[in-house]
Amino acid sequence: MDAVAQEKITKILKGEIKYTSTNLAFNMMISKLQKKLQADPGSLDSCLTDMEAFLKKYPIVAKVDLANITAL
Amino acid sequence: MLITLEETSALINEGKKLHIAGDDSLLSRLPKGNWIGGTTPYFISEEGGAFDKDRLFVSELPFAEEVRVATYGKYNVFQIVEECYDNGLTMIIMPYGSEVLAKYSKEAPDVEELLMHPVLGWIAGADLEEGENGRIKVYDGTTGESYTDKAVVMYIKLPEGKTAMINLINIFTDDKTDPVIKFNDNELSVIKCKVNGQEVAFADYIEKKGIDTRMPLVADYNGAYINTSIKSIENGRVSFYAPVFRDVEYRFAVKVEDYATEFKNRIDAAGARDPFFSCNCILNYLYGDLNGKKTPPYTGPVTFGEVAYQLVNQTLVYCEIVG
Repeated sequence: MDAVAQEKITKILKGEIKYTSTNLAFNMMISKLQKKLQADPGSLDSCLTDMEAFLKKYPIVAKVDLANITAL
Repeated sequence: MLITLEETSALINEGKKLHIAGDDSLLSRLPKGNWIGGTTPYFISEEGGAFDKDRLFVSELPFAEEVRVATYGKYNVFQIVEECYDNGLTMIIMPYGSEVLAKYSKEAPDVEELLMHPVLGWIAGADLEEGENGRIKVYDGTTGESYTDKAVVMYIKLPEGKTAMINLINIFTDDKTDPVIKFNDNELSVIKCKVNGQEVAFADYIEKKGIDTRMPLVADYNGAYINTSIKSIENGRVSFYAPVFRDVEYRFAVKVEDYATEFKNRIDAAGARDPFFSCNCILNYLYGDLNGKKTPPYTGPVTFGEVAYQLVNQTLVYCEIVG
């Protein structure tokens, strides 16, 4: 994940910008990490690590989402 | 495809990897082979919605490089996230009313690794007219054994470069100006809840507001709406077909006036190309009057709960292999 995508994903997890994927699992992941971050604002690094692992796991679908997120 | 016992047996004997849904009277007569199955006599076939105890709904899994079948009880069902293929798809079938289903439905969202491994599945049921006498079972085709209290799982290994995309079609949405409903714990039935932060008796709230309980509770998971359907209200206790979760914000779904039309509109909008499997909720079948109606390209069993990673209700769940 490049720096721009990471910055945008951070904003998504903080609820500062909204992004809805066509991938159900990605939406569920965002929702889960938003709750985790809300409960523990110090967990941002851990949330980003989780997100990176998720995106690496699904490179085919992550490619589209990362392009869309970077363009936000 | 909805086919006869003989046709299904022939596919099994050819060594095909199969997912099979049907009435217990047919599943129990199938030969051993690379298949898993569960009971339901309701289907959406290419011919339309149907109640059929004389045929089986069979989904071939031609993309599978390998399959393994296992069964789990309530104490070990979450081993599925450890025992699955690294690049694969896990298909799970659980019996309605079983303890393993209760366990899975309540705890799946909290399982750390669940979203890292595609899990697709459904809840087996029986003829609604038979009530408690209906035979609800899942089958491990590799042994021919059936279970009323276990989950049967098929682990499917996908070729490199392929991914399983699980998605859902949900006709329900919420109105963000409606009151927010929250619950204290992960529960399959409740007496109290909080409405906009104020504790109330949930059954009283539903009655006072005149809420149509055919409409589910909906929770917004970053734009993906997950439903929880109301099963019954008895003596002040509201029971659900899937659990409600603590720390999740719910609202009652906006009332759908023409269920069947709305369902068709959502299917048309979803635009899936080639789902190899789908299952649709018995409540959609009944409330949407889907008997005889076609929902192309989505065909499959009509089920008593659907699994898209976690248990969902009143939803069509489907899966495509992409890449």
